[in-house]
Amino acid sequence: MEEMIIAILRSATPLIYVTLAGVIAQRAGIWHLGLEGLMIVGACGTILGIVLTGSVLYALLLACLFCILGSIIFWFVVEKLKANQIIAGLGLTGLGLGGTTLAVEAIFGTPAAVNAKFGLPKIGEVFGNIFGAFSGLSILVLLMPFVVFGMWVLICRTRLGLQITASGEHPFAARSVGVNPSRMRFIALMIGGVLCALGGAELAAGSLQIFAQNMTAGRGFMSFAAVVFGASHPIGAMLAASFFAIVGALGIRAQLLFGEDVPHDLLLGLPYIATIFGIWFSAKMRGGAKAVTGFGELRDQ
Amino acid sequence: MNTQFITIFRALSFILLALALCSLIFIAAGFSAFELFESIINGAFLRNGAMKHALRWAAPLFITSIGVIISFRAGYFNIGAQGQFYIGAIFAAFTAEWLNGSPAFIVVPACFMAGALGGALWALWPGLLRLKSGADEVITTLMGNFLASLILIYVTGGPLKDPSGSGQQASSRPLDAAYRIGNSYELSPTIIMIAISLGLIMWVLANRTAFGVVSGLAGRNATMVEWQGAKLMSVGLASFLISGGLAGIAGTVELMGPNGRLAAGFLPAHGFTAILIALVANLSIAGAAVAALFFGGLASAALYLPVMSGLPASAIEIINAAIALFITAKSKFLDMFFSLGSIKWKK
Amino acid sequence: MIKSDENIFECKNITVSFGAVHALQDVSVAFERGKIHAVVGQNGAGKTTFARVVAGLIRPSAGEMTVNNKTMPGGDVKQARKAGVELVHQSFALPPSFTVAEAMQFGAGSGKIYSRKSLKRFWQKHLDKLEVKVKSSERIKNLPVETQQAVEIARALISDAKFLILDEPTAVLSPETTQKLFVRVRQLKQSGVTVILVLHKLKEVLDIADTVTVLRGGKLVQSPLNCEGIDREKLSAMIIGENANQNLASSNKGSLRPETQQDAVLDVQSLSTIKDVEGAALDDVSLTIAAGEIVGVAGIEGNGQRTLVRAIADMVNLKSGEIHLNGQNMTQMSHLERRSKGLRIIPFERNVEGLSSSSSLWENWSIRKYLQKPTFSFIKPKQDRAACDSGLKKWDVRYTNVDQLAGSLSGGNAQKVILSREMDADAKLIIAAQPTRGLDIGATDFVWHSLRQARDNGSGILFISSDLDEIFDISDRIIVFLSGQLVGEFTPPFDIKEIGAAMIGADL
Repeated sequence: MEEMIIAILRSATPLIYVTLAGVIAQRAGIWHLGLEGLMIVGACGTILGIVLTGSVLYALLLACLFCILGSIIFWFVVEKLKANQIIAGLGLTGLGLGGTTLAVEAIFGTPAAVNAKFGLPKIGEVFGNIFGAFSGLSILVLLMPFVVFGMWVLICRTRLGLQITASGEHPFAARSVGVNPSRMRFIALMIGGVLCALGGAELAAGSLQIFAQNMTAGRGFMSFAAVVFGASHPIGAMLAASFFAIVGALGIRAQLLFGEDVPHDLLLGLPYIATIFGIWFSAKMRGGAKAVTGFGELRDQ
Repeated sequence: MNTQFITIFRALSFILLALALCSLIFIAAGFSAFELFESIINGAFLRNGAMKHALRWAAPLFITSIGVIISFRAGYFNIGAQGQFYIGAIFAAFTAEWLNGSPAFIVVPACFMAGALGGALWALWPGLLRLKSGADEVITTLMGNFLASLILIYVTGGPLKDPSGSGQQASSRPLDAAYRIGNSYELSPTIIMIAISLGLIMWVLANRTAFGVVSGLAGRNATMVEWQGAKLMSVGLASFLISGGLAGIAGTVELMGPNGRLAAGFLPAHGFTAILIALVANLSIAGAAVAALFFGGLASAALYLPVMSGLPASAIEIINAAIALFITAKSKFLDMFFSLGSIKWKK
Repeated sequence: MIKSDENIFECKNITVSFGAVHALQDVSVAFERGKIHAVVGQNGAGKTTFARVVAGLIRPSAGEMTVNNKTMPGGDVKQARKAGVELVHQSFALPPSFTVAEAMQFGAGSGKIYSRKSLKRFWQKHLDKLEVKVKSSERIKNLPVETQQAVEIARALISDAKFLILDEPTAVLSPETTQKLFVRVRQLKQSGVTVILVLHKLKEVLDIADTVTVLRGGKLVQSPLNCEGIDREKLSAMIIGENANQNLASSNKGSLRPETQQDAVLDVQSLSTIKDVEGAALDDVSLTIAAGEIVGVAGIEGNGQRTLVRAIADMVNLKSGEIHLNGQNMTQMSHLERRSKGLRIIPFERNVEGLSSSSSLWENWSIRKYLQKPTFSFIKPKQDRAACDSGLKKWDVRYTNVDQLAGSLSGGNAQKVILSREMDADAKLIIAAQPTRGLDIGATDFVWHSLRQARDNGSGILFISSDLDEIFDISDRIIVFLSGQLVGEFTPPFDIKEIGAAMIGADL
């Protein structure tokens, strides 16, 4: 059982960080499909930072820096150039995936995986053995519940959170009390950038110490699904992300139990199927036959 | 004329902006942007036989992109072309396996039908979810892409596994040479013909049928079309099915033409590129033909770069991504320019 | 002249241009302290633009504003609010998913972390003080419009507003709640707040305002004039302009309906619908419209008028009842079949339900025909363009070519495109829902004229409008809706008191 929880925490933590980034963006009115790209930038930045500077702190700063840079580009394109959020988000993802490959190739001459000598500090290294079997997890896992709580307070219990939410839900309302929705989206995306960097860092340097091409393998998109599944509430989205992690872990577990009879690749698809059901369910609950996004550019105002 | 010029100018100006961003990234990564672009243009369009290679990549991309255009025009943001492409290819591969031994004139059309069916099925469920319950098609088709690539991994590692294959990348048994409609080293006239005829059919569908006008209007303002008495269900579902079917056909083309077999995760950027083509062409079928050639050229350059000039292939991915970032952008500055321009030309 | 130190608010030469269009042109006006000022004008006169400029939402292209003799920079809501200027919008600007307390907090509260309870308590006090009867934990989307308005006024008064602008506050209110609003406005005046009301009904202006300012076509026609000693005719002449008035009066006297009793084109029998998202459900509605008759539907918006149209158009599910068109039962028919039998609709929202503004004119015009064909049948765009061209010419639509986007037309011209599409020779029953909303006098007249002509040609017309005067002028018969029920039917001569009472469910 303990093993299982550790496995789930390992896979859930990066997802949850990135999901929170998606939540705050969604609240501000941005469908953030660039999460995947920012996450891999975070992962790559962390490992390259460790390899090049030898310091975890600098590595995290580097990861944050690049993710914020990516977020600024995204904000500029979506907010100032009024580009379609979904296409631009996919573009940002492509930029992240291609850019990290290019960066690795530029530095090491080959796009192969990069190993770091060490990863993020473990719980055990910082606090001793008080967490027992969980000591092997990285400190970002320990930090995660506090970050979730912090995001909940920020979004649901402060004026800034209300202003961000108003900017997404009713930008005119925000403007008419003197809140600049564009600035709120900037703030939301910057916070999201840092969270993506942490999520990527945990993925690459939490239990592993490696960066490989495309190593996020759709986790960013899964986080996006969790945001929608969790009704863009920080707690709901965290539960949704954990649910994905649990289903994933159960899939691996089932394969260990039943062996080759269960097609493992198909079990890996369970979270996606769950998301589809989630979207379907929430659409039914909403009762409307209208989807929330769609291709606005070509539509009438 | 005037609006067309504006459209083209707008697309080009944002592509230039995208290339400027790319240059910055390339320079930051320590490459000479000039040298890279030179190699890319050379690899895509100028070197010996470049056109041939560009066409090889452009043809399937074009087929998928006209499908994307049909669904985008109808207002459905089907970004699941990649998944529909995979499922189409898988259906075709199973059909080829099942009919193995029959004469080619039976197997090839059967495979194409199966491919179209597979792609259409993979667009059917998001379509139904969207039209029946209002489930957002962006997310469902996106999830469909991941599911399809998992299914592809499963199929190539299971039912259709090539036992002689090396362990590196799972792939299916190669197709019998008699069933191939093209190969990886020369341009297949069959594939070009298929692309051209599908292009013509879709052009007629979009511009010369009631479906084309009604779905276009519904895409821009569904409420108005409903108030005119249309049930959006059939038009919407038809656009989903056509769009998925075309992606499935493109998958079949890749399977029976240049690839000759299924491989796990093959052509992972196909659907995304097709969406880009549709957007760069501003959802015009004719425009997609030109845009497909451009992106086909880039795709062939991606193979050329590391081999011929030792430059990273990811540069092409970055260019595509940067174009995606900017292609739907609207800028006040440009609009001002356009409105000034339109006053001048109006008589 | 008024001395400047008595003026709380003054603007000099305000001009607002959107591209080549001047929404406001060279408007200079000064408002006195502690009074209720009305700003009136027709649709498109620049009232809302003016209100938004004052509140800092729109930056004027030229001109200067001063509050308490201090210059206020334009286009900055924060500065405007700091100076004590607050605006309450026509359609309310509160995020629907917020609770009342959250809606207050996000615009005005402190940046500190709060708990749900403390927030509720804090704002409940404020609401109680202003006598707004609402629980601060309720969600905005669950509140009736007048409460939403009250909440927004309360929000505007948080930060000690000295100068409150209400943009068309009565547009969404029933006569009864309008009176309540006016009581509140008078209380505000008592407590020293200067109020500007943007209005378009003369009666309301004369009821409440101390001064009136008239805008027409973005220009100032009359700067604050004392309301005492001003008469209705003079004011209406200022609002409409001099010549239009006679024009209007002469056109009003249309021919009454033919005496001979014709067959019913529409016969609705005890129609009930299930709950509809877009308005009150119909409850046992029976109604007939004869050929050559205009039936006006009166009622406060949202009382089932919209549902009635949607039911006749097969866009809402019926619980019980039957709909007959030309004596034929069409309860089970689809909207398209009904249209092929002669149903035509001029929808409520011109640019949303009537036209696709980013599509070409010929596509918008041809869609009715295309929908009668099988989905995948071929069309001949060239011919249809020509047909559209001649069709639009016949209706005197001003446009450059048929490939022009519908969104580039003015409101009146856009409505003419819809009329030319819907009012063809085969039209038996024409539903005209708010057909003149937002149109200028000329275009309104054109719409009325067309409807009368269609009536004289034997079509039955269901005419829905929120403007009672208009309904009185054009209808042969008036029915009144309240909460999804048909509560009254009136024949000429119409009595405004009776109909008004029926609209709000009051017994006379």
